[in-house]
Parts: sequence; C-alpha cells; structure tokens
Amino acid sequence: MVVDVTLAGGEISNVAITGDFFLEPAEALEAIAASLTGAPANASEEQLSDRVTARLPAGVEMIGFSPQAIATAVRRAIDDPTPRERV
Amino acid sequence: MTALAEPGFEERWRRHEWQLLRDEPTHPMMHMALDEVLTHEVGEGRRLPTLRIWEWSDNAVILGRFQSVRNEVDAAGAEKHGMTVTRRITGGGAMFVEPHNAITYSLYAPATLVKGLSFIESYAFLDAWVIAGLKSLGIEAYYQPINDITSTQGKIGGAAQTRRAGAVLHHVTMAYDMDPAKMLEVLRIGREKLSDKGSVSANKRVSPIKQQTNLPRETVIQRLIDTFAERYGLVEAALFPHEEEAAERLRREKFESAEWLYLLP
Repeated sequence: MVVDVTLAGGEISNVAITGDFFLEPAEALEAIAASLTGAPANASEEQLSDRVTARLPAGVEMIGFSPQAIATAVRRAIDDPTPRERV
Repeated sequence: MTALAEPGFEERWRRHEWQLLRDEPTHPMMHMALDEVLTHEVGEGRRLPTLRIWEWSDNAVILGRFQSVRNEVDAAGAEKHGMTVTRRITGGGAMFVEPHNAITYSLYAPATLVKGLSFIESYAFLDAWVIAGLKSLGIEAYYQPINDITSTQGKIGGAAQTRRAGAVLHHVTMAYDMDPAKMLEVLRIGREKLSDKGSVSANKRVSPIKQQTNLPRETVIQRLIDTFAERYGLVEAALFPHEEEAAERLRREKFESAEWLYLLP
C-alpha cells in the first residue's frame, strides 16, 4: 500500500491510497480517503484510524489493508515524506 | 476453513450447468471488458455459470483495481517490450503477461456458489479443481491464503475476485513460463524499498509450471479443463453476439480510456 498525503494549513487536504489490496465495493475507497480530509496534520495514528473506521460505509470488506494500516501509512507519509515507502 | 469441510459443500458446483468458453487470441483490453460483461450476464441470469479459458493476443501489464500506474509500471520498459498497460476491475497486484507464458481463466458464478464462505475461504474453494489438476500432473501444488496458487517449488499464480450484480467474478493468472529479466524492466516491483510485510505478490519466489513439468502449455490447460469437467460437469459454449457487442463497447468506452487507466495515476 502506498499513501500520498497533501497538507494545507495544518490539515490533511488530500489522501491518495493505492496498492494491491482488495476492497468491496471498490467505490468505498473514495469514502475512506475523504474520511481523512480535514484531519489535523498532527493527529495520532489512533485518531486517524478512528476517523476511517467511523466513516466506513456499512458492509465494506477490506482485505490486505485496514484502517490501522492506512493510519500508520498516513503518519509515516507526514513525518517522513521522502522516500516514498510501501507498508 | 471449517465451512469447506461440511459435507455437500462441493455439491454446490454440481447444481449448475457449467459452460466452457475457450477464446481465440484476444486483446488484453477486450479481456478486461469481457470479464465485466460476463459477470453481469451471469448475475442477471442471461448466461449460465461459466468457465472462460483466456488466450492472449498481446503482451500486457494488468494492474489491480487500486494500483497506481506510476508506482507499478516503468513506462520506458513497457514501451520497449510492447506491453499493453491496462487496469482490471478486481483488486490485487500487477500481472506481467506474455501470451505463451500465461495460463489465465475466469469463473463467473452466482454469488450463491460461495454463500456462507468468507472471502478468504471462497478463494480456496473456487480454485480447488486447479490444485487437483496440477497435482494430477505431478506438481506439488497447494493453496496459500489469501489468493496464491503455489507449490513446494514456489508460487505459480494468483487469484482475484470481485462481486457485482449478484455474481462473483474469480480470475486467475498462472505462470506457465516467465522471463524475469523482462518483467523487472517493465514492473517497478522489487526496486523500491519494501517493508517487512513484503506485500508485493510478484516479488515472491515464482516457479513457473514449465519448471515443474515437461508438458506443453496446451496439455496443461486441457488437463485443467478435464479436471473441472470430471468434478463439476462442463459443456462447450460460445459468446452470444450481444455479449461480444457489449464487451466491444465497454472496451472502447471504458477500458481504453485514459480516465480508467489513470484512475489512480
């Protein structure tokens, strides 16, 4: 999984999540990314993970990634933006 | 995988009159479109459950639904080797395909076939006949959850699924043979720093079927078809004209569009 994060004004303004995971339905990826928009740039992993979980549409199946894995990758992307890292 | 051990679970296959489609060499973009169209046709009851054996006309890189083009593909390498780069509707990792090196098939079935199974269980369930077929050729094959067909010698192939319109699409590409040097020029796998999870599937040790048996590709494919037919029954069939037309349209309008390929740039 690769997460690209854009920051603006101390907040997350955009997140792109890509990788070799499985997600049903596929459209849920937009909701997952959108759930992180507006989060403070200094939010903890737990806070980020909770944001994703709270806004996960009902019935979504995530295989090969999770709210926690996304939160970890977002935190790493902010704290150490280069080099791009797979998690 | 307790559910798989329940008596009668295998019987689910035999409740259907399975159709076999064997392609003429077909363009990668058309394969993508056929998978989407045939999944809907089976889900909506216009087509009986179907096993499609693919033939490829062109070299291809097939990205998983959620992969980034620039993260996975070396554009210069893909150009040099005449690769068609496309994106499929299922998740998972990038596949590197040369027509005579790959064995690819799709299953299109009503979702009831895998009802009560977890996603992970359904992968092994839907590929059990392939494991049996490979074993009958003397290959010590087994399933490695979630979605790998592997062997004591190394990984052979991988599966991917999606569900829509009341149907499950399950497709698999196995390596009959492979050119690792060429693959590394085309895919960026293995060049980037990998975490300890090492989640890039093509990075696992691969042992193509040809390294494990002397049989020609056609013979292996025929044995797999025969195995399916013996276990579940199988009738030769053909694409309906309306399916081909729908797939041609979807190929043009969706799969050949830059919008779809660069959905995740």
